[in-house]
Amino acid sequence: MTTRDIVLIALFAAIIVVLGLIPPVTLGFIPVPITAQSMGVMLAGCIIGAKRGALAYVLVILMVAIGLPVLAGGRGGLSVLVGPTGGFIFGWVIATYVTGLIAERAVREGQSELRQFGGFFLASVFGGIVVLYAIGMPWVSVVTGTPFLTVASGSMVFIPGDLVKAAIATLAARAVLVGYPLLPHRA
Amino acid sequence: MLTSLYIEGHTLFHRLSVRVKLACLLVLSLLLFAVSSLWLLVPAFALSTGLYATTGLSLREGFSRVGFVFFTILFLGVVNLFLLPPLEVLVVVIRLMTLVLFAATVTATTTIDAFMDEITVLLMPLERIGLVRAADVSLALGLVLRFVPEIFARYQAIREAHRARGLPLRPLTIIGPLIILTLKDADMIAMAIDARGFRRH
Repeated sequence: MTTRDIVLIALFAAIIVVLGLIPPVTLGFIPVPITAQSMGVMLAGCIIGAKRGALAYVLVILMVAIGLPVLAGGRGGLSVLVGPTGGFIFGWVIATYVTGLIAERAVREGQSELRQFGGFFLASVFGGIVVLYAIGMPWVSVVTGTPFLTVASGSMVFIPGDLVKAAIATLAARAVLVGYPLLPHRA
Repeated sequence: MLTSLYIEGHTLFHRLSVRVKLACLLVLSLLLFAVSSLWLLVPAFALSTGLYATTGLSLREGFSRVGFVFFTILFLGVVNLFLLPPLEVLVVVIRLMTLVLFAATVTATTTIDAFMDEITVLLMPLERIGLVRAADVSLALGLVLRFVPEIFARYQAIREAHRARGLPLRPLTIIGPLIILTLKDADMIAMAIDARGFRRH
């Protein structure tokens, strides 16, 4: 791990923290307002890749654990980690890793624009939605005793918003790939 | 901007070492999930609430810290009422609230310094096998704390630029420039760190 990798991990963790400070945006066609921080998993995986992205989230969780209010809405501390949705927070690390793995393999410089969009969108949806919910939902179910199918069907409310986030993350990741490519140089 | 959730004080919990507190949290979480008798859970809940109340937090701050997690617990509790026996729902709700209150107590009574010392100790086995260096973890953490205010200022500048042009604030037009502007500094920061010889082997 080079010094540059450590700096990139730290800067991205700082970006994730700042995304939590930005007020949520409401889009006309979706009732749930979009918090920029919840796009972090997709952005980290698609922009700095699997290993560095996952480590950026390890750093964020470390900050939550030691009592810094780094999550959206000024939340933090051990109480957030032991709550029913703790699985989603720990799941960020693996979800980012999977997003990064797919993005690193599916997207290259010099591909057509459309293929890059497709690659980033696939990575964001699979890593940032499928993998994340696959960890977070069973956790909720085990901790609260709510039947898994109820948790799963309840979570469907968030899917449209998550797809919008995946689309925004895709566009942002491709803009960064064009402006300042980091993904090809893996850690 | 990033003020720690630690509350100054001299209670018993403030004086206990982090390791003891974290061990208590771990043991408590295992015990709570093993026990489902209200005769044990209610006293545990009362004890947790009592500990949390003595940390020196104001009532309002105390509520706001656990409010969001309590909201999720209660929401899932209400959903559970339609699916599970009410007694079982009560057990789950009290169990989770007890755990959350205890965790919030640990957070409120432990400084970041103390946590970092403990993390350095916990990382030692990993350091010995060459997987991670504790110094790198503190370096990364220091960098985050140093750069959050700067990145936030950058966000404000981008927001002002939107206003000056009469553009609506959209996540996409903020996130792209924010990330590129921030990550472009990475090389310079890395060079500065290496020039100071922070990571000499």
